[in-house]
Amino acid sequence: MSKITIPIGPQHPALKEPASFKITLNGEEIYSMDMRLGYNHRGIEKACEERSFIQGLYLIERICGICSHSHSTAYIQALEELAGLQVPKRGLYIRTLIAELERIHSHLLWLGVAAHEVGFDTLLMYTWRDRELVMDHLAEIGGNRVNYAVNTMGGVRRDLTPDEIAHILKDVDTLEERTKYYAQVATEETTLVARLSKIGYLSQTDAEFLGAVGPTARACGVDRDVRRDDPYAAYGDVQFKVCVDHHGDVYGRVLVRVGELMESYSIIRQLMKNMPDGPIAVKSPRRIAAGEVYSRYEAPRGEDCHYVKSNGTDKPERVKIRAPTLANWRAVRKMIEGNYLADAPIIIAAIDPCFSCTDRAIELVRPAGAETLTWGALRQHGIDWHRKQGLDFAELNKKLNTQLGRVK
Amino acid sequence: MTAEETVVKALVEKFPCFAEKIRTQRERRLWADVPADQFEAVAHHLFEQMGFTMLCSITGLDEGATFGLLYHFGQPSGMMIGLKVSIPREKPEWKTFIGLFPGSELYEREIADLYGVRFEGLPAGLRYPLPDDWPDNEFPLRKDWKAKPAVAAAAPAAEVKS
Amino acid sequence: MALFNIIVFPGILFLVIAGLWFEFVDRRMYARMQHRQGPPWFQPLADFIKLLAKETIIPEDANRFLFTAMPVMALTATISAFFYIPLWSPRALFSFPGDAVVVMYLLTIPTLTFFLAGWYSTSLYSMIGAVRSLTQLFAYEIPLFMAVLAPAMLANTWSLAGIAAYYTAHPLMALLNVPAFCVAMVTLLGKLEKVPFDIPEAETEIVAGAFTEYSGRHLALFRLAVDIEVVVAGSLIVAMFLPFGLALPWYLGIIVYLLKITLVVALIAILRTIMARLRIEQMVNFCWKILAPVALAQLLLNLVVKGFLKP
Repeated sequence: MSKITIPIGPQHPALKEPASFKITLNGEEIYSMDMRLGYNHRGIEKACEERSFIQGLYLIERICGICSHSHSTAYIQALEELAGLQVPKRGLYIRTLIAELERIHSHLLWLGVAAHEVGFDTLLMYTWRDRELVMDHLAEIGGNRVNYAVNTMGGVRRDLTPDEIAHILKDVDTLEERTKYYAQVATEETTLVARLSKIGYLSQTDAEFLGAVGPTARACGVDRDVRRDDPYAAYGDVQFKVCVDHHGDVYGRVLVRVGELMESYSIIRQLMKNMPDGPIAVKSPRRIAAGEVYSRYEAPRGEDCHYVKSNGTDKPERVKIRAPTLANWRAVRKMIEGNYLADAPIIIAAIDPCFSCTDRAIELVRPAGAETLTWGALRQHGIDWHRKQGLDFAELNKKLNTQLGRVK
Repeated sequence: MTAEETVVKALVEKFPCFAEKIRTQRERRLWADVPADQFEAVAHHLFEQMGFTMLCSITGLDEGATFGLLYHFGQPSGMMIGLKVSIPREKPEWKTFIGLFPGSELYEREIADLYGVRFEGLPAGLRYPLPDDWPDNEFPLRKDWKAKPAVAAAAPAAEVKS
Repeated sequence: MALFNIIVFPGILFLVIAGLWFEFVDRRMYARMQHRQGPPWFQPLADFIKLLAKETIIPEDANRFLFTAMPVMALTATISAFFYIPLWSPRALFSFPGDAVVVMYLLTIPTLTFFLAGWYSTSLYSMIGAVRSLTQLFAYEIPLFMAVLAPAMLANTWSLAGIAAYYTAHPLMALLNVPAFCVAMVTLLGKLEKVPFDIPEAETEIVAGAFTEYSGRHLALFRLAVDIEVVVAGSLIVAMFLPFGLALPWYLGIIVYLLKITLVVALIAILRTIMARLRIEQMVNFCWKILAPVALAQLLLNLVVKGFLKP
C-alpha cells in the first residue's frame, strides 16, 4: 500500500481545540507526523505589555480554562517576588488548596478524555460526573467554575469558612474512594490495558532531550516535579511523593496521573489540618520596582514558566509564558512514529494537550472589513448589540443602584 | 557554601570573563549576561558538565538597539540560570540550539515568528504561531509594532453571515 | 394476506418500529449503566425524522449512483433476510431447504454496502473506514458462520424453520450450543460495528468511517438499516440458540420473542459499556486465535454427538 497523508484537524472529533496534524500513513502504520499549531493565538503576551500589572492578571487567568489558576499563580508569584511582598501563610495555603483542587479536576478530566479516545465512554461518564464535585467546590470558593479569580497581588481574594473546609474534606474522601476504583478499572480492564500499553513509547533519554515535562516525562522515569524541586506557595510545608513510572507508554502516563490524584487528596488533607489563621492578603503597590523574575509552577500538565520583566512603571516590560504543552509537542512527534493510526488520538491526548495554553500571544480582527476595533469601540459594540436584542444594561444598572441605595 | 555559590564559583573558574556578571537573585535563581561569541561555549559547558540539562524556555526581549535572547537553563535540582545574549537589531541572526537540545525547536520558531530573529541551522518546517498568510516583516512582539489596519486586511476574511 | 405480512406484520412496518424501539432500549440501557439519564423513548424516531428533513449533500467526486443506492441496498438486504427467520413459532414467513445459508449471506450485504459506500465517497476518512469494514468482515465472518451452522448441523437441516422444529422437539439439545452462542454474540458486535469492534467508525480517529460523507435522507436510511440489522441479526441468534417457547400460543409467543430480543440487545449494551475499542489488528487476532478455534471445537462436538445419536 502506498503512503497516504491523512489530516487530523484543525476541526476533528478527536481534538477538543483546533490544531492540525498531518499524519503520513503506511497502511495503518504512522510513518511521520507534522503539526501546525497556533490556531488559538490571541496575542496575550503583547496585550499584557499594554496593560497594568493587575489587569494582566485577568488576561493571564484566561489563557486556559483548565489550568487558569496555574497561569495566574505563576504570574502573581513573579509579581510578588518583584515587589518584595510577603504573602500571609493562610493566603499561601488557600492558593495551594485551589491548585490541588485544580489538579484533581484536570486529571479526572484527562482520564475521561483518554478513555473516550480509545472508545471507552463509560469511564468518561464516570470521571466527569465525579469531577463535578470538585467543580462545585471551586465555584463555591471562587464563585466561578472555570476562572476562579482567587489570586490577587499579595495573597488571595477569598477566604474559607470552617463549613467549606468540612465539605471539601468530605468530598475528598468520596473522590479518593472513586479514584481507587478507576485505578482498578484502568489497570485491570483487559481491552483498556490492551489499548494503552506499549503505545506512544518514549525513552527516558528522549524525554529529557526533547524537553518533555510533567506526567509525560514522569511516566518515562524522569524524576522531576517543581513542587518538590523548587517549592513555591505552601508546598514546602506538606509531605508528598512524586509519582514516577518506568513504562514510558500511555499506560504509564495513566498510572502517574492516577498516582498524582491520590497524592493531591493527601496534600489537601494536610493543608486543611494545618491551615493557619490570619489575614489572607497584604496590600500591594501599583508600581513595581524594575527587575526580572522567573517563576515556575507545576501545573497539572507539567511545568509552567512565567518570565516577568518590570521597568518600574505600572505596566510590565515583558511577560513571557511557557505553557507545559508547548514543551511536550516535540516529544509527541517522536512518540507517535511507528504506531497505528488508531493510536494517534490517544497518543496526542496522552500529554493532556492544551492548545489554548500553547498558543497565547494578536489583535481582534473583524472578518468582513479592514477595520480594527479599539478596546472602547469593542465595548460600545457589545453594548449596542445587546440593546438591539432588547437588553439595556443602563436601565438595569440604574435599577440596581436604586435598590442598593446608591443613587447617583 | 550554598549551592548557588558553588555554581557561580565553578562557572567563573571556567569562564573568568564574567566574574562580576553573574547575579544571584535568590535561592535557585541565577542570571548572567553572556557575550555572543562566548555563548556557545558557556551553554555547552552548563549543559554537558554542570547538569543544567533542561532548557525550560527561551524568552525574546526587545531592548531597542538589540534583541535579547534569554535562555532559561535548569538543573533537575531546581537551580535555574538565565543566560542572556544580545544580538544587533539590524542583523537579527543567531544559531539554533536544536543540535544539543532538540526540544528547543518550537521555542526558536516562536521567536523567529514574533521577533524576526533568524536561527541558522533550524530546518525548514511549518511556522509557529502566526498564520501562514501573515505578511512579511511584521513582527508583533517588537516594541515598535502596533496593530494596524493593513494587517487586519491581510488576514483571511472568514465568511460571516451578518 | 401475504402482502399484509410483508408490509405490515411481521414485515417492514413491524421491523421499522422494532428497530427504532430497540435502538432506544440499547441507548437507554447504555446511558443508565453510565449513570446518565438517557434519551426519551421517541428519540430514535425523532432523530430519523430530523435527518429526513435535513439537506442531503453528495460529494462532487463521489459516484452518485452508488452513493445513493447503497443505503437502499443495505435496508433491502436486511429486511429480506428477516422473512426467512422463524420468530415465535417454528414456521417462518417463507422457507426453503437451505435458507439458513441465504440469511447469512443476506446479512453480509450491509457490511459490503458500508464498504462500497465508504469507498465511493472518495473521502480519506470514508476510505479508511471502508477498508476497515472489509478487514473486520474477514475476521468475524468465518467464526460467525461456523457458530451459526453448528446448531444446524445438530438438527441435520439447513432450513431455519427445520432447525426451529428440531429444537422444539428436543429442547435440551440447545444447551449443547452454548459455546457457539457466546461466539455468535461476540462476532455479532463485530457485524453490528459496536464497541469493542466499532473500529470502522471509530469516531476519534476517522470521524464516522464509511458514513462520514453521508447526510440527510441517505444517512437516515443507513441508520435505519443498522437499527433493523440489530433486530434481524438478533432474531437469527434467537432462532438458532434460544429456540424456546415456540410451541406457545401466538400472543404469548410474541411476548417471549420480544423478551429474547431484549436479552440480546441488553447483552450488546452491557458488552459495549464494559469494554474499550480494540485496534483492528487486535480484533483480527482475537477472532482468529480465540473465536475461530472455539467455533471449530463446537462443530466437532456437534459431529460427535450426532454420531452417537444416530447409530
